[in-house]
Amino acid sequence: MRYEDVNIGDALGPSEMYLSKDQVRTYAKAMGMLAPRFTDDELARKEGLPGMITPGNMSLAILGKLVTDWIGESGARMTRLGVTYRQPVLPDHTIALNGFVTHKNDADRSVEMDIWIESDEAERLVIGTATVQFPA
Amino acid sequence: MSTVLDLHSHSEASEDSRAPLEAYLNWLKLRRAERPVDGIVLTEHRQFNRDADYRALEDKFGVMVLKASEVETDYGHILVFGVTDEMTRRFDFANVRLRAQELIDEVARMGGVAIPCHPGRPNVGLCEHYATKPPLENVVAVEVLNGGSRKGEDERSEELVARYGYGAIGGSDSHLVSLIGLCATRFDADVRSMEDLVRELKNGVYEPVDFRPRRKPVPHAVAVQSK
Repeated sequence: MRYEDVNIGDALGPSEMYLSKDQVRTYAKAMGMLAPRFTDDELARKEGLPGMITPGNMSLAILGKLVTDWIGESGARMTRLGVTYRQPVLPDHTIALNGFVTHKNDADRSVEMDIWIESDEAERLVIGTATVQFPA
Repeated sequence: MSTVLDLHSHSEASEDSRAPLEAYLNWLKLRRAERPVDGIVLTEHRQFNRDADYRALEDKFGVMVLKASEVETDYGHILVFGVTDEMTRRFDFANVRLRAQELIDEVARMGGVAIPCHPGRPNVGLCEHYATKPPLENVVAVEVLNGGSRKGEDERSEELVARYGYGAIGGSDSHLVSLIGLCATRFDADVRSMEDLVRELKNGVYEPVDFRPRRKPVPHAVAVQSK
């Protein structure tokens, strides 16, 4: 894929991903995020949460992968990624990853995109934007 | 002739949005078949840019752009349409503790209209405040359809409208380019300016319209345990 091949409105995904509690625990432990809200349902509920939740950094990484998968072998690189956390991402659910190319900047051959994580009830849990720069 | 306007949107002028106005208008042009919106109202958080002039972009994309503001009050967030210099002198829009009743009454006196948005949302919506405080007076309408609503929020807003007899509007509350125009308001009348819009919100015939795609929930997949 070259910069010239990209069009405003091009979709990233949608792709689906089952997020298991084991995956979330493994990520949290690997990152040293040992707060029980990321590892234990019962203790998370004592904090007022519906159960254990996915660390924000993990959601960020999942959306980053959506972008880098889209980049593929094109030689482009993701230069910016920013998200807003609107609702907790609960493990033991299937999430959908979505995105759209929203803007092209010919001057620096960069592309802007919207990205978000959707719940299994089609609610947008984490929303954000990313910038991808293509080589000259 | 009817007019369809997205009455609630945030461009990059709001601190939590990265959406340039030009990208919004281009997106609406590309998606006109699925989101037939004639115009949008920029309702930037806690501010009003009196001097911004969007006529060149309106002409380029054929989409009307009007300016309003979303302010924060003791009854949650409120959209202010028809902002005047007198209003911005009277109220500090950056103040997150404005008094809702005073705002609604004074904005009306100065020729505008103040409309509570996402009333069904926890903390920043009217419903939660009505549970502990007396209802506001002189509310013309509330935002019943909000593009950023979570499950149950729009339904709570509908119950509020049914109970108090408020008018109902819709807006995308878009902070991302691709979400612009997902919810909007259809006016029976031709709306071409902020003066038209304020007049119609006060006395006209309008209804919220929903252009959100009907998506199937994602099926629950089988868990694969990690080793």
